Amino acid sequence: MKNFINNFLDEARKVILTIEPEEIAKALKIFQATYERDGRIYIFGNGGSLALATHWVSDFNKTVFSQDLSRPIKRFQALRLPSSESELTAWANDVGYDMVFAGPLQNYLGDSDCVVAISSSGNSANIIKAVQLAKARHIPVVGLSGFDGGKLAELADAAIVVKTEKGRYDLVESIHDVVLHLITKYFQDYFNHLAAKDAKK
Amino acid sequence: MIVVRAPFRISFVGGGTDLPDFYRQHQGAVISATIDKYVYIIINPTPMISSVSARYSITETVDHPSKLQHTRIRAALDELGIKSHIEIGSFASIQSKTGLGSSSSFSVALMKGLHLFKGKKLSQKEAAEAACRLEIDLLNEPIGKQDQHAAAMGGFIIFEFNADESVNIKPIFLGFEASSKLEDHLLLFFTGITRSASNVLGKQRTNIDKKLNEYKEMAALVPVFEKELLAGNIKGMAKILHKNWILKKNLSKNISSTVIDKLYEAGLRSGAWGGKILGAGGGGCLMFLAPPSKHKAIRAKMLLLAKRNKLTGFQEIPVKFVQSGVEVLLNDDHTVL
Repeated sequence: MKNFINNFLDEARKVILTIEPEEIAKALKIFQATYERDGRIYIFGNGGSLALATHWVSDFNKTVFSQDLSRPIKRFQALRLPSSESELTAWANDVGYDMVFAGPLQNYLGDSDCVVAISSSGNSANIIKAVQLAKARHIPVVGLSGFDGGKLAELADAAIVVKTEKGRYDLVESIHDVVLHLITKYFQDYFNHLAAKDAKK
Repeated sequence: MIVVRAPFRISFVGGGTDLPDFYRQHQGAVISATIDKYVYIIINPTPMISSVSARYSITETVDHPSKLQHTRIRAALDELGIKSHIEIGSFASIQSKTGLGSSSSFSVALMKGLHLFKGKKLSQKEAAEAACRLEIDLLNEPIGKQDQHAAAMGGFIIFEFNADESVNIKPIFLGFEASSKLEDHLLLFFTGITRSASNVLGKQRTNIDKKLNEYKEMAALVPVFEKELLAGNIKGMAKILHKNWILKKNLSKNISSTVIDKLYEAGLRSGAWGGKILGAGGGGCLMFLAPPSKHKAIRAKMLLLAKRNKLTGFQEIPVKFVQSGVEVLLNDDHTVL
């Protein structure tokens, strides 16, 4: 038992170090610019990655302004796609599973927005389809992938890759969650910093 | 309707090494950052009105774009083959010719907007290249390529200019704490003296060959400045700004003037660690990096000197750094995908 636990924790420690910090920095710049132009963040993924997206959106929308929930300052919105299970199943049933993200995205996406795509393999057809749609419109894309990065890492403007052997969804998804929390914490600290600066004036 | 905006920029070190007369002999380098002052271009398709209107400090309405007085709008419309049924307006947070790169910000936003009007979305890099083509190739302005790229990409960026005309773009990822600390130390004053960059640069270009070493030294200051910036060493950055300003001043006698020298020296005497004139020179903005405790004294001194020298337009410009570059704020023609 102890061996198994130590082994897993060791692996987690090792793969977290495979992430290029500069790619996360690129992602933070993309989000910052999106905030400045009053754009929105759209995030999506399949299965566990969709759960990560949902978790992140609920955290991000509330937590980044946690000190300022009533102060009239410019807000920052992140939305998970598809917006509901009805939307998801409508696209899947009526059009096809490969359109469950690209379908809603083409409806929501505006010129000032940005996109976050999560796919452990980096090759999920429905994810790539949505990313290609964003890229064709020159919308900045943050990609979170694993294994060898996949097609997502090639397409994304900020390619956050947790390098593992093929099939280690467990490790990739765990580390993706760490990165997503890092992003939330950065903006939480940023808005707190702005609030503290304003209070001094 | 289409609304596009592009930020103004502060150029820290290396300005001038983006001129072809230099970078064709030796790699040029510039470090700059975009600020929360913008130029906005509004493009309104007028399907029922065939004329072309340009609205800026004046309003022009003509039956063919070749009759426009505004040289950039005229050249841009010609380049894109737009002949009628359009209104173009421009608005800005602050006046032009302040040394904050506003004319290139204008070109970048204009080219992004006009391409969108024609049904094509440009990437940031494409918008910068389109603006360079407009200003340098079509209008023969004797300017460099840094401002167009800075306005298009946004954020803190190092640009390297190569002899084969390519531009290496190296974004510097500065966290909010470092960027906020820099804002806290930075003072920016518009001198009230406006000049066109083309005039100053036109003269500067004629003697680049005689000043190659100065240009090389300025380009070499860029990586040193980057190091101090990342380390959050404001005093170190200020010293490099000062060194760059002394080098730049000696490139051409039009870059500084008696009154600018007076203001700059007074700033240093009042406690600033260093600074420079922003833009091509001859006027524009004066920037200082100084400990926040000295800001009050520097401000007072500047206002006093400005009054004495009858600089009627002199004023302080509050600055925040931004990560955004050229961007579409509104595009209600959803057929362009």
